[in-house]
Amino acid sequence: MREHGTTSQRMPLEGDAPLEGGAGRLTPEELRRSLQIFREKLSSDEVAYINSCVRCGLCADSCHYYLAEPQTECIPAYKLGLVTGVFKMYFGSVGKVFPRWMGARRLDRQTLEAWVDSLFGRCTLCGRCSLNCSVGLDVTRLIRLARSTLVSVGLVPRGLQSTVDTALQKGNNMGIPRQEWVETVEWLEQELRGELNDERARLPLDVQGARLLCTVNPREPMFFPLSIVAAGKILHAAGESWTFSSENYDVTNYGLFSGDDDAARVMAERLVESMERLGCETLVLAECGHGFNSNRWKGPQWLRKRYGFEVRSILEVVADYVREGRIKLDPSLNPDLVTLHDPCNLVRLGGVVEDQRYLLERSSLHFVEMVPNREKNFCCGGGGGQLSMSEFSERRLSAGKIKAEQIRATGARVVAAPCHNCIDQISELNKHYKLGVETKTVCEVVAAALVTEG
Amino acid sequence: MPSIEVGDKRIELNEEGFLLNHEEWGREVAETLAREEEGLEVLTDDHWKVVSYIRDYYLEKNLAPMIRRLCQNTGFQLRYIYELFPSGPAKGACKIAGLPKPDGCV
Repeated sequence: MREHGTTSQRMPLEGDAPLEGGAGRLTPEELRRSLQIFREKLSSDEVAYINSCVRCGLCADSCHYYLAEPQTECIPAYKLGLVTGVFKMYFGSVGKVFPRWMGARRLDRQTLEAWVDSLFGRCTLCGRCSLNCSVGLDVTRLIRLARSTLVSVGLVPRGLQSTVDTALQKGNNMGIPRQEWVETVEWLEQELRGELNDERARLPLDVQGARLLCTVNPREPMFFPLSIVAAGKILHAAGESWTFSSENYDVTNYGLFSGDDDAARVMAERLVESMERLGCETLVLAECGHGFNSNRWKGPQWLRKRYGFEVRSILEVVADYVREGRIKLDPSLNPDLVTLHDPCNLVRLGGVVEDQRYLLERSSLHFVEMVPNREKNFCCGGGGGQLSMSEFSERRLSAGKIKAEQIRATGARVVAAPCHNCIDQISELNKHYKLGVETKTVCEVVAAALVTEG
Repeated sequence: MPSIEVGDKRIELNEEGFLLNHEEWGREVAETLAREEEGLEVLTDDHWKVVSYIRDYYLEKNLAPMIRRLCQNTGFQLRYIYELFPSGPAKGACKIAGLPKPDGCV
């Protein structure tokens, strides 16, 4: 496994300012390699982006970090400048001659340290800055590319790297042993039967040829399994043919966040293997924003192939049940005011926008939108791997102020968030900002409104 | 780096309040973490039942127990465990039991 940067391994070389993180230990050879990898990863599209930012600053007000803490370091164009400056120093004709004029900077230990602090520590890869960008830059793409460069020299923050490593080594990002997962599914099946008072209710495992293969975020079986029971209720009520897999069931892919395409490819391929092994028609992605983006959009790029099956969010599947009359909902069963958080990777970057609203409007008496919403919604502050990087947790909570204010302004008692990562962050915001809300998956709200026979 | 004072000892925590060195854990440490990090003024027998199970399981397996094991071994309903630890099993119970922060979306 990769070595991680720690302060104890730090060996500042002559001429360096003291460094807090792990960049100080890098050898001149590693620095050269980071530059080479940075250049290799840049496609012609990205080079065009690099030369396009006109520093108009319109992106500032789109970023939750800047709104929570209005300082230069939080402006997306500044963060982007840390990346584009390196390109201009080495590969742009004017920057080589007039580095200061072009904002060019060397890819040295200080720059790498600044990249870690800024690109991991002050960005959730939420993509909201691109909405306001006057020249339409894909800022997230360039920042992730710089994160990839940091992967190559082992500078990914420890908690994020550890989550990637655990997934690679153990098959899921919380290191759940296979037998524990299987026994948890069996235990939850009993809970489901008890709640529905129906012995035919099932949480099926490894059913060959089932129509749908469903996935979970490992934190569900590990700590928060009520969302699995909720999804199971809906699938049972719809009379669906579906299954879980006893292995390779993890919807998450922290390679998207760390920038590690090799790791991301391995993780995406696992779900493809489960689909092929069980011969299912549709891969159903649990309520997980980055898991949706990774498996619906990025997976085929990482694997360089078209999938031979359909990939859908469980929200799309359940919305179809309602449209087709396969399940019936009684909104009076959810009398509290409900609002909806739009996970960036599912909505702005994923394209699933209306089905969650369709479901909440039909399963709760009072549904209220946050402002702004849909593709303009603010990140919860927990995206981009932030939840796993303890060193930036104070900034994460501070930047979450914008989301907390949005939630408070709705007056809602329940926040539906179709992403387990967002749920965890919003639960922390709830505690920190004393919002007095309950956070649930969309399926939990829908399941509570289900009208079951008898 | 944040820390807590227990007796005359200073114990270091990570930025999210998890023990840096799980071997420094003890009854008083758990009570201090519960109070300062989780806002639990008193740990009842039921809290201790959960915390002790997590602690013993971790020492044996180097892994946090799944919520299923926690429910089955304490005899507590899932919802009751969430009531006991408002920050949940990971950021509440595991933290008080002195475990490091789990990987993943928590």
